[in-house]
Amino acid sequence: MEKYMDQDKRMTAKEAIEKFVSDGDSLVYANCLTSMPLALVHELIRSGKKNLMLFQQGGIEEVDLMLETGVIDRLVVAYHFRIGGKRVTPPLDRAMKEKRVQVEEMTNFTLLSMMKAGAMGYNFLPVLSGIRVTDVVRRRGFLGDQRFAEVVDPFSGEKVLAVKGYNPDFALMHVQRADRAGNGQLWGAMINSKWAALAAKKIILSTEKIVDSEVIKSSPHLTIAPAHKVCAVIECPWGAHPSEMAGNYDYDMIFRALYFASIGTPEAFQAWIKEWVYDIPDRDEYIKRYIAKFGEDNLNRLKAKPFLSAPADYGYPFTRDWNDEGYSEKFGMNMEEFVQMLDEKGVLLEG
Amino acid sequence: MGIKYTLDELIVFRASKEINDGEMVVIGQGIPMAAGVLARSTHAPNSVIITEAGIVGLEPFKVPLHIADTSCTQGYSYGCDMIDIFTSVVNHGYVDVAFLGVGQIDRYGNMNSSYIGDPDNFEMRMMGAGGAPEFAGYAKRNVLTMRGGQFVEKLDYLTSPGYIEGGNSRYEAGMPEGSGPSVLITTKGVFRFRPDTKEMYVAGAHPGVSVEEIRADIPWDIPVSDNLEITELPDEKELSIIRTFAPEISMGRKLQIETLVTRVMRILTEAAER
Repeated sequence: MEKYMDQDKRMTAKEAIEKFVSDGDSLVYANCLTSMPLALVHELIRSGKKNLMLFQQGGIEEVDLMLETGVIDRLVVAYHFRIGGKRVTPPLDRAMKEKRVQVEEMTNFTLLSMMKAGAMGYNFLPVLSGIRVTDVVRRRGFLGDQRFAEVVDPFSGEKVLAVKGYNPDFALMHVQRADRAGNGQLWGAMINSKWAALAAKKIILSTEKIVDSEVIKSSPHLTIAPAHKVCAVIECPWGAHPSEMAGNYDYDMIFRALYFASIGTPEAFQAWIKEWVYDIPDRDEYIKRYIAKFGEDNLNRLKAKPFLSAPADYGYPFTRDWNDEGYSEKFGMNMEEFVQMLDEKGVLLEG
Repeated sequence: MGIKYTLDELIVFRASKEINDGEMVVIGQGIPMAAGVLARSTHAPNSVIITEAGIVGLEPFKVPLHIADTSCTQGYSYGCDMIDIFTSVVNHGYVDVAFLGVGQIDRYGNMNSSYIGDPDNFEMRMMGAGGAPEFAGYAKRNVLTMRGGQFVEKLDYLTSPGYIEGGNSRYEAGMPEGSGPSVLITTKGVFRFRPDTKEMYVAGAHPGVSVEEIRADIPWDIPVSDNLEITELPDEKELSIIRTFAPEISMGRKLQIETLVTRVMRILTEAAER
């Protein structure tokens, strides 16, 4: 795995996609349903990248958008949204019937186990074997036998079901806050985010807000994207709209109602994509268009009221061996006395 | 008598009765979430609601659009992730009940939520497996609800295991002993499974629905219980809990979409006038 050690990785979404994404790459979203990296998805569509392969637990907008614009041609997925009735949303239905996409069906757990195995650096991981009776396991799609296998438990001798580990070329992820080096902090529903992010070879990270490293260092338990895996940091308020971002904003049902009303036919969906993706350079302009169309009141209505987490206290009695007066409680001496002691005991070497 | 209720409210109420106090319950959006909240507000205050998003002990304040939206992610007791839910929670047997929605179901409670028709040349692609196969396989019992699904002799695709071929076949295939679907609640009635053969039978009918109407949807000769339960009706207090927590469930999908469209049109008109 490549390491990304720059202390300042800030760039625009456009720069990040140009620099780090190639045609034919595989990718994963490091979350599903909630806190979706939709600003990055829109940028990926504008970039014109092709023939990508997507691992995604389940989607509302992002999968359909990438299918309709021809960004992806292979999809490993556990479930997909429906609007009413049993049928999945029309864009996926159409893309499958027109053979524009190959689909491999997984369960939520086994798809994420593929990512967890990859994240752990393992080639396979056991899963819950009972589901081997299902067609999810029995039928094979474009991944063929590179998905499920039976392995023998070396301790009990029993046959267990296992999945293959995968390391997608990149992950797209949106978080509440991150520092310039890319330590990304996410809270709320975690779903697949940790294992998808850690499975990927690199993470393109957008964040509601860039914060000082001191903020991150006071709350390391919230860091889910470690800087060494993050290749780009994009500050992007409203970057998950119309999905929700805990502590920031709710999902936007009004916007989604118009979106869902548009996906029924290719023509209407293309018009929607032109208006909200192709005709817009970045997320700032997207929000301006939103305000022009729906009014600022409707945007403000989505903003979250605070519900603060109790802070975790990382304090302890002595922060250093030497206090502000240069005296050590532990040794009962100051620095001068310390060096004198080392000398007297004969452990100092002549240089 | 004299109570006015919607069909969705009746299903929510009937489903809530399947949760016992102190149980851990896996729930998705929609009718099951309303049933879970109703149960916690009435006879099962110590039951714990879980979603596969990694949320344990949630107290939603409205029916979520999906299992991880803002109505689910405030004030819960254990925030973990999807791997934790299926391993340290489900695989260790902590889950008493998992609610699952049904697309297609056969006589042994096996389910299809993936394809209608030949999967290679399908008529309809449905939502897909999601978390259903492992919840169906590994929760102690499953409560199934079906709204607009179908009974079939043979599934087009087996997404989630019920009792496989009946008898002990489910347990021989590796699922925990004693686990499996315990009840199916539809728009017409209530179905259960025989303890020995694991075959589905008609256990109850909703008020005003005849056994013939129930059997009309089922392509095989389904047995009917001698002690047919007539579904109990919710009272004013229970209806009030459902309507307060889940007005969108009370009104059903069609009315829900109608009211949303009206609201969107009004907002767009107002914005255009400014």
